[in-house]
Amino acid sequence: MDRTIYREIKATPALWQLGGLMIAFILAALWSVWTVEHHGHVITGMNNQIVWGLPHVFAIFLIVAASGALNVASIASVFGQKAYKPMARFSSLLAITLLVGGLAVVVLDLGRPDRLIVAMTTYNFSSIFAWNVLLYNGFIVIVGGYLVLQMMRKVDARWVKAAGVIAFVWRLALTTGTGSIFGWLVARPGYDAAIMAPLFIAMSFAFGLAVFLLVLMALFRLSDRMIGDAILIRLGRLLGIFAAAVLYFTAVQHLTNLYATEHGGVEWFILKDGGIFTALFWIVQVMIGGLAPMALVFLNPSRSSTMLASTLVVIGGIAQVYVIVIGGQAYPLDIFPGFEVVEGFNEGVVNTYTPSFYEILLGLGGVAIALFAAGLGAKVLRVLPTNLSDANVPGDS
Amino acid sequence: MTALPASTDKKLGLVIDLDTCVGCHGCVTSCKGWNTENYGVPLSDMDAYGADPSGTFLNRVFSYEVQPADKPAQTVHFPKSCLHCEDAPCVTVCPTGASYKRTEDGIVLVNEDRCIGCGLCAWACPYGARELDQAAGVMKKCTLCVDRIYNENLEEVDRVPSCVRTCPAGARHFGDLGDPDSDVSKLVAERGGFDLMPEQGTKPVNKYLPPRPKDTMETAGIPDLKPVATEAKGFLGWLDKALEKL
Repeated sequence: MDRTIYREIKATPALWQLGGLMIAFILAALWSVWTVEHHGHVITGMNNQIVWGLPHVFAIFLIVAASGALNVASIASVFGQKAYKPMARFSSLLAITLLVGGLAVVVLDLGRPDRLIVAMTTYNFSSIFAWNVLLYNGFIVIVGGYLVLQMMRKVDARWVKAAGVIAFVWRLALTTGTGSIFGWLVARPGYDAAIMAPLFIAMSFAFGLAVFLLVLMALFRLSDRMIGDAILIRLGRLLGIFAAAVLYFTAVQHLTNLYATEHGGVEWFILKDGGIFTALFWIVQVMIGGLAPMALVFLNPSRSSTMLASTLVVIGGIAQVYVIVIGGQAYPLDIFPGFEVVEGFNEGVVNTYTPSFYEILLGLGGVAIALFAAGLGAKVLRVLPTNLSDANVPGDS
Repeated sequence: MTALPASTDKKLGLVIDLDTCVGCHGCVTSCKGWNTENYGVPLSDMDAYGADPSGTFLNRVFSYEVQPADKPAQTVHFPKSCLHCEDAPCVTVCPTGASYKRTEDGIVLVNEDRCIGCGLCAWACPYGARELDQAAGVMKKCTLCVDRIYNENLEEVDRVPSCVRTCPAGARHFGDLGDPDSDVSKLVAERGGFDLMPEQGTKPVNKYLPPRPKDTMETAGIPDLKPVATEAKGFLGWLDKALEKL
């Protein structure tokens, strides 16, 4: 086995083209933000019933995935699995860029994005949202420091491990905070559940690893570097376990809600009568994003299975966040049980939501920011190993 | 940190009589007018003269139909605005502390200079009483006309919320619900005023007076009217016969 050598990726034509495409998406997102700021949120699909829309779905997916993208680094540093160590630097970098992409979407979709400085300097500590601002900023700083320590030539491995442990604990706190935004929404029957925090942690493990695998494979292909089947199959199996964990927590979430009378209505709405939300839940989230990836990586473990499973987990993950965020808001408030609404400005009826073109552009812009920054990071920093062929991946000891 | 006050000196709020509200939307119009011209101006309208108009309102009237057991169905008009809850979830979730509850009178307000328009308070409010002003990009809500009730430039009779001043049916009442001797507290006690969705534990200051079941002929005790004549007589009798022959 050769020594692991980290080098900046080559600027191939394909890499430039992909970079150009990402910049185009980012510019389109900025145009979308400018248009929405000029005309107001009335031109989006969001309203006073569906307060958070598609941009937030993308943002939450990216934020959750950011935490999970750190999986590989955590496994290497905290749990001492040497096979993962060559990928740990890029794992840390991708975690930061995904979070930046997600936060960009959240900030740019605020009613007043120009008041970001207010959000960064004025904290109401009884708000989980304020805690999340600290958790997100802290994550960038801690993982950034962890990345620097990994890249330093003469640094004691204990320092790297210590930074890895802090980053690992912080990422658990971050995802707990994100899940708690929904878990602590007592007013809405679709949320108000403590299981949201562990569910989001499981989601982060799966979504983050899936995104990491896809980006890693894409960058290795674009820069003509080798990545072996064995490590991909191994990571694919891990993804399958994480997908199973997401399904488990999802099942517990819905079964618990079905048991509680006050949540019964919204549960049947999501599981049976919710139209698009029911279809997204069963077909995209559970089957395409959960069962199919598990079947692929466990029944037919291969390089292509890992790639396809990662793609399916990402698709299922976006559907899952959509069902959680939009589905929960679509279910109406029941202010007078037993009373039938005659006229009510959307009261008592299922709230409809059609994402606008602007929202789609903004969401995709966030993804583009994350990917462009990750690619740029790999271009200018020595975060990717030159060779990840099976013979060159260190064994665990 | 924007903590909810442990207690407030007063509990200013509204008492809304669902028995007398006729659903005329006068309070909605008056509220919109006052709050478009004064504090937190304006409450923007979007596409006001187009095919799909929408706008920001601090008070809306909803209509419900309900059929009590063994009673005829009845329509209940239900005006809804911020209930100025004692344990207001919109205040605790606000990340910047823009939403706050005043210690002196218990009014829940939004500091619009500090609001970033994240919308989380609209999720947290179980009553759906907050609206994002699409043009201003900040959250708006009922202020209990804080710029009227203390305004010494107005006649004393006008120092009540705009919706209360304008209600033609006298269905809206304003006062200190923390004072058991106030008119509104007595009204609530007398009429069995109730909290909206008490199971949420938000302890709303505003109260609603319940609609009374609709009268029926039996319960009203009104005797059937007897016919005054079986056959028309006089000029009308002659006219009736003449018309029948045509």
